[in-house]
Amino acid sequence: MHTIAYFDSSHDMPEEVITAAGFSPMKIMGDVHASNDPADQYLQKFFCPAARSFLTQALAQSHQWAGIIVAHGCDATNRHYDVWKLHVKTPFLYWFNSPIRNDAVAKRFYIEELKRLIAALQRHYGISISNDSLKNSIAQSNDIKRRLRKLATLRSEKDISNREYFTLVSACMTKPKEECISLLQQAKSDWESRPEFPSHKKRFYLTGSDITYAEWMDLLDECGIRVVRDDLSIGERYFANGFPELEDPLEAIAEYYLTIPRPATKISLDGRIDFIVQSLKQTHIDGVLSQNLKFCEPYAYDAVTVNNELRSHGYKVLHLEREFSPAFDQQVMNRIAAFTEML
Amino acid sequence: MTQNTANKTQIRINTLPHAKDLKDPMMYYFLRSIIYPKLPWKKTAWTGAGFPIELLWAYDVFPLHPENMATVAAARKQSQRLIEHAEGMGYSRDLCSYCKTNFGAVDTRIKTSLGGIAKPDFIAITNTICDTHWKWFQIQARHFKVPAYVFDCPSYVSGTSDETLEGYIDYLVEQFFDFSVFMEKHFGKKLTEKKMRRVLEKSDRLCELWQEIYELRKAIPAPYSSAETSASFFPLVILCGVDVGIKFFEKILADLKARVARGEGTLTSGREKYRLLFEGIPFWYKMKFMYELAAYEAVVVYEPYTYSFGPRKPLNLSLDETLRHVARMMLDVPYSYNLEKRIEYFKRCVADYKIDGVILHENMSCRPSSSGMMDLKEAIQRDCGIPVLILQCDMNDPRAYAEGPIKTRIEGFIELMEANRKSN
Ligand code: SF4
Ligand code: SF4
Repeated sequence: MHTIAYFDSSHDMPEEVITAAGFSPMKIMGDVHASNDPADQYLQKFFCPAARSFLTQALAQSHQWAGIIVAHGCDATNRHYDVWKLHVKTPFLYWFNSPIRNDAVAKRFYIEELKRLIAALQRHYGISISNDSLKNSIAQSNDIKRRLRKLATLRSEKDISNREYFTLVSACMTKPKEECISLLQQAKSDWESRPEFPSHKKRFYLTGSDITYAEWMDLLDECGIRVVRDDLSIGERYFANGFPELEDPLEAIAEYYLTIPRPATKISLDGRIDFIVQSLKQTHIDGVLSQNLKFCEPYAYDAVTVNNELRSHGYKVLHLEREFSPAFDQQVMNRIAAFTEML
Repeated sequence: MTQNTANKTQIRINTLPHAKDLKDPMMYYFLRSIIYPKLPWKKTAWTGAGFPIELLWAYDVFPLHPENMATVAAARKQSQRLIEHAEGMGYSRDLCSYCKTNFGAVDTRIKTSLGGIAKPDFIAITNTICDTHWKWFQIQARHFKVPAYVFDCPSYVSGTSDETLEGYIDYLVEQFFDFSVFMEKHFGKKLTEKKMRRVLEKSDRLCELWQEIYELRKAIPAPYSSAETSASFFPLVILCGVDVGIKFFEKILADLKARVARGEGTLTSGREKYRLLFEGIPFWYKMKFMYELAAYEAVVVYEPYTYSFGPRKPLNLSLDETLRHVARMMLDVPYSYNLEKRIEYFKRCVADYKIDGVILHENMSCRPSSSGMMDLKEAIQRDCGIPVLILQCDMNDPRAYAEGPIKTRIEGFIELMEANRKSN
C-alpha cells in the first residue's frame, strides 16, 4: 500500500508532496477496455466517459491504494468528488483545491492549500514531511521532466510511434519515480538510435482533451500522423517547465503549478493559445489535430476560439469529437484521411 | 391521458391578481438594458447566477444577464434556432444550451425583446456553479475585447471542515479587494461602505419578502406554484439594488396572504392532491409543463432553484464582515450544495412542505446540477418514503423535450404517488 492515487483532470496534483510523504503517486487513467457499468450506477451516461472510467477503476482498485486525492479541475473532478466519497472505499480521500486563477492572490491560496494537504497527510499517516524531503522530490521531478523534454524533441526527428511517446509519458505519472527514471534512461538510448522520421508520415500538433489510452494514439499512426508536439496534460504540459530553484519548496511548487502551460480547466484562454502558437513556431508541423472527448466541456468550449485563432495564423486545423473506445472509429479515420490528403 | 386525469382536465392554475404586475420590473430592466449600454458614462457588466449581483449595484454598474436573456429567447421560441446557429459555429451539441443561445444571439444580433443582449463594458462571473459560466464568459470577453473578472470559488465539497471553509472565504475576500483594484483601474470606480449597505438593505428586503412568500407556500392547499414563481422570482436575479422588485413582491405577498386567509389554493378546483418539489431549471420554452401538472391536481410547491436566489443578508456589519458573508454565500447556495448538504436540505424541504413526490430535472445542459442525482434520488426515496422521478430534458433546447414520453412518465409518477399514499 505505497500508492496514493489521484484524480486530476489536468496537471494540478502536486505529486511532489506525495513522494515527499513516502508514497508513490499514481494518476488514475481509467481503463478503456473495461465496461463503465460500475460507475454508471452513480453517474449518468452524459458525463465524460473518461471520468466515469476513473470511478470504475477506483471502485475496483481502491483497496490496493493507501489513499486517493482529487484535484480541483473540471466539473467532473469538482462534482464527482462527492459521489466518490459515498461509494469508493478508501482510508484517505482528500480534496485538493487548486485554483483556476494564477495571479498573486491565487498563489497565496495555493500555498495555503499545500499546507492543508501536508497537514492532512501528516495527521492521517502519522508521518512528517520535511522541507528537505520536499526539495528532494522537486529535484527528482525536475530530473524526470528534463529527461522527458529531451526525449520529446526526438519525436520530430526519429521514428518514434505515438504509442511509445504516450506510454512513456503516462508511465511517468503512474509508476514509482525510480522506475520512471530507469524507463527514461532506456528510452534515451533506444530512441536516439532509431531511424530518421519516416517520410510518409505527417508531423502533427495534438491539442484538446487528454488522451488516456494508447489505442487512440495507434489510430493516428494508422492514419499516417505522428504527434510531434502537443499541449496535453498527459503530454507536454507535464514536462514543459521545471520547478524553479527557490529556498522555500512550497513557493517553488506553487510557482511551478501556476506557471505551467494553461489547460482548458484554468484561466486563461489567451495563455493556452499563446503556448500553442509558440510551440508551432518552434517545430515544423503539417497540421493541427484538435479533439475533444465526447462530453468533455472545457475543451469543447475552447476548441472554437483556439482553432479559429490557429487558422488565422495560417495553420491547417482539423477538429474532431471522439468517443471513449479502444476500437478504431472508421468515421474519424475517414475524416483524418480527407484532411491529410488536403495538406 | 389516464382515466384518473381525464375528468380533471378543467383544473387549472389560478394566477394571482397581481401576477401581471411582473411587467413593471421587467420593463424597468429591459428599458435600461437597451439604453444604458449606449450611454458612455453608464457602465454595464455581463454577469450570471452565483455572482453576488449586489456587488455590481454597489459599484453603480448595471447588470446585464445573458442567462436571463437566454430564457427570454426560449420563451419567445427563438432558442432552438440560436442554439443551432451556435452549433453551426462549431459548438458541440453537448454544451450548455444557455451558453449556445447566447452565442447565437450575439452572432445573429437578435433584438433584446427576443433574447438579444448588448455588448457590456466588462464581464464579471464566478466558477461557483459550473465551468460553463466562466468558460462561456471568457470566450465572449475575448470576442468583445472587454476586460473580464472571474471570481475563483473553491469547491465546497462534502466533508469540508469549517476551518478549511474559512480558508476558502479568505481567498474570496482577497479577490474582492483585487476586484476593487480592477474596477478602479478600468473604470475609476470605488466601493463605499455606505453604498454597499444601501444595496444590501434593498436586497435583503427583497429576499425577506421572497422568504415570506415561501413560508406561505407551506399552506395546504398551496397558494402559489412554480408555474408562477418561475417567472416572478426575476427581480431576485437582477434587480437586488432597487425598489421596483420590492413593490412587486409586496403586492404578490398581499395576494398570497389573502388567498391563504380564505383557505384557497392555486388550483381552480380549490384543493390539491399531490404536492411536488421540482429540482432544477424549468423548461423555459415549455412553461406550460408546470401549468399542465394542475390537470393531475399536482402543484409544485418548492423549487430549490428559485429559493436559491433569495438568501437573507445580515445588515449592520462592517464592510469586511459583509464581504466575508458575501463570500460564504457564494460558496454555499442551495443550488450548488455539495451532495451531503443537498441530501439533508431536500429531506428538510420534503418535511417542511409536506411533499408527496420529487421531480429531479436531469438536465442534459447542466452536468454539475445532475451530478449526484442518482444518490439524491435514492436517499429521498429511502429516507422520506416518497417517489422520485428523474426527468431527462434540457432547460433551453426544445429538441430535448419529448412530449409523449414525458407525459407517460408524469402519469406513471402520479400513479406511484397515489399508490404510495394508499400504502401509508
Ligand atoms: S476529459 Fe474533460 S471532462 Fe473528462 S475529466 Fe478530462 S477535462 Fe474533465
Ligand atoms: S445551466 Fe448549468 S451549465 Fe449552464 S450555465 Fe446554468 S449552471 Fe452552468
